[in-house]
Amino acid sequence: MISTGSPNPAVPGGKHRPAPAFRLAVPGAAGTVGGVASQAFLHLVIALMCLAWILPTLGVLVSSFRPASAVANSGWWTIFANPFDLTQYTLANYQQVLEQNGMAQAFWSSLLITVPATLLPMLLGGFAAFGFAWLRFPGRDALFLLMVGLMVVPLQMTFIPILRIYSRTGLAGTLVGIWLAHTGYGLPFAIYLLRNFFGTLPGELFESAYIDGASPLTAFLRLALPMSVPALASLGIFQFLWVWNDLLVALIYLGGTSSLAPLTLKLSSLVGSYGQEWHVLTAAAFVAMVVPLILFFSLQRYFVRGILAGAVKG
Amino acid sequence: MYRNKGISRFAWLLLTVALIMAATSVTTWAAPKETVTVLGVWGGQELQAFNKVLAAFEKKTGIHVEFTGTRDTVAVLVTRLQAGNPPDIAALATPGLIWELASKGQLVDLGKVLNMSQMKKDYAQTWLDLGSYKGKLYAIFFSVDLKSLVWYSPKAFAAHGYKIPQTWNEMLALTKNMAASGVAPWSIGLESGAASGWPGTDWIEDIMLRTGGPEVYDKWVNHEISWTSEPVRRAFELFGEIARNAHYVYGGPTAELSINFGDAVKPVFADPPKAYMLKQATFIQSFIRQAYPNLQPVKDYSFFAFPAIDPKWGVPVEVAGDGFEMLRDTPAARKLMQFLASPEAQEIWVHELGKLSVNKRVPLSAYPDELSRKAAEIVLQAKVARFDASDLMPAALGSDAFWKGVLNYVSGQDLDSVLNNLEAVAKKAYGSK
Repeated sequence: MISTGSPNPAVPGGKHRPAPAFRLAVPGAAGTVGGVASQAFLHLVIALMCLAWILPTLGVLVSSFRPASAVANSGWWTIFANPFDLTQYTLANYQQVLEQNGMAQAFWSSLLITVPATLLPMLLGGFAAFGFAWLRFPGRDALFLLMVGLMVVPLQMTFIPILRIYSRTGLAGTLVGIWLAHTGYGLPFAIYLLRNFFGTLPGELFESAYIDGASPLTAFLRLALPMSVPALASLGIFQFLWVWNDLLVALIYLGGTSSLAPLTLKLSSLVGSYGQEWHVLTAAAFVAMVVPLILFFSLQRYFVRGILAGAVKG
Repeated sequence: MYRNKGISRFAWLLLTVALIMAATSVTTWAAPKETVTVLGVWGGQELQAFNKVLAAFEKKTGIHVEFTGTRDTVAVLVTRLQAGNPPDIAALATPGLIWELASKGQLVDLGKVLNMSQMKKDYAQTWLDLGSYKGKLYAIFFSVDLKSLVWYSPKAFAAHGYKIPQTWNEMLALTKNMAASGVAPWSIGLESGAASGWPGTDWIEDIMLRTGGPEVYDKWVNHEISWTSEPVRRAFELFGEIARNAHYVYGGPTAELSINFGDAVKPVFADPPKAYMLKQATFIQSFIRQAYPNLQPVKDYSFFAFPAIDPKWGVPVEVAGDGFEMLRDTPAARKLMQFLASPEAQEIWVHELGKLSVNKRVPLSAYPDELSRKAAEIVLQAKVARFDASDLMPAALGSDAFWKGVLNYVSGQDLDSVLNNLEAVAKKAYGSK
């Protein structure tokens, strides 16, 4: 997820940070012959992996600017024959996606679904993870194992029973219903990730806090949470992406409520029943990517800060 | 400093959530209007066309329609049915599933919704039968595709003096002739994701109709004749004569397996052509238009009927289509069903999309172009019309094993083992039905 491959990452917004501290944390890695060779190898592997990930995305990006007939008749790489011939590009695909009826509504619906469905599991998962990590109660480990085990359950199995409950309680086709569904699906992973992170925090910290008279809630809010910003940020990104990109859960639980249909549903209906007009999806993919990208870049500083903080404390 | 900031940020986010929740709770639960929910497969231009149909309905009745389009219609519908939360109306393309749902009592008998004497006047008995289970009507066929067509470029045919074949033998002679010129006669694309192989089943079904006639076809569909029996074997063999011949198919069998059915139009309409003929349903026109927006129907692309094999059976037609079923009996849903069954709704649909209607009161003038009109005429006048067999068979066979059987056969697997395997699957599938 962290895209900085260079040893001295240009930290966005990190003005006052002593960058060399990071280098000191890995002494001796550079300089020796073996070190250089293994570093070169590492960089090569990383570069190849990046390429493997970026190339298809690049293909989609290029295709999104090509007219339908060109997409249908030749590969996207053919533009490199003469890349500066601007007549071969078009904005028609983007126009078609954005001018669709109800795009703004779908964007808004996606946000309405995703933001609470990201924050709820973070909050609840944080509480639960703190309990699993630092409170002693009977059956703690067994319960935790059960939670971790739930990650293995395919969510498709839960559709029918949950939708049955929803349609009896009137939650089907409502935002609350879909928030709860995503929260439920996201919680096992949230608890697992945060518990492991909380577990690495120094226990003396909490002990001294309790001696000073702090309640577990205070210890959680004042100590555990602020120290876990990087873990929370990564969890937030995971959960946000999962919910933002979700099509199936929305399709099942929202039923026919098209006023609440998220972007994914709206965009999937751009393609015909036989898969005609798929070229529009290339543009649609980039339209849908905008929000997650903004989120990622705005939260990236927390990742880096987290790594740095750990390194300095040593 | 930084810790406090973390806290305040967290609190700030929570506040936002609370605000959003408050805002939506106002907007979400404030629209109680008479509404019908519809689930269907359409997207893209199809969806735009269907929205026009719905707009006409909303204008007429003031009832709001919520349409959900997904290509996973069957999975979503079955899930929602089992959970007791079905849409009011669904559009399904597989009569096999319609009958299954009807047998479980999950569909509303349309006899009490529609004017049945009018329905009998408007629709040919075949179409009413396809939507009926035990004598009761459960589905109305709204949108139909004609499958028994061969698409070609009239210009390419004229340039080489090729004539449209009237019989299977003429078609084979033409195929041989074309292959001798060094250009592949046929373009076949079997790839279609998880559904790969279905274009090949259309070939075999059309051949079955032409060699065995409708009775044998029906027996085959109902598994009253075995997959290893002579008519089925012969249909596979005739298909194989073309599909397994590396000189007759663009790229040979290997390419055939990997070319997408939609991309199969390209060799035929490329300039210069790399293949001359493509057997595909009416819907393929949208793929031709997408890949070659400048081509004109009739002049640049056209079709002829898949020719007769046994003169006794002539030129029967194979069709596929989407039918509407009612899952919840509400007054608003009844009104929408009545509207969808009417020529008024179907005229809008065929005019927008060039899909075919089987309502006899839809005038031929409603079709947007010459080709769709010609196809509609063929369907309405067909003496023998049969629905796509694979859509009628149990899903494990018709929507799985049959597709794979075609792929295995084309890739060179021995016909006996392909058919034995299909027969084994069929025994299980019909046994459990």
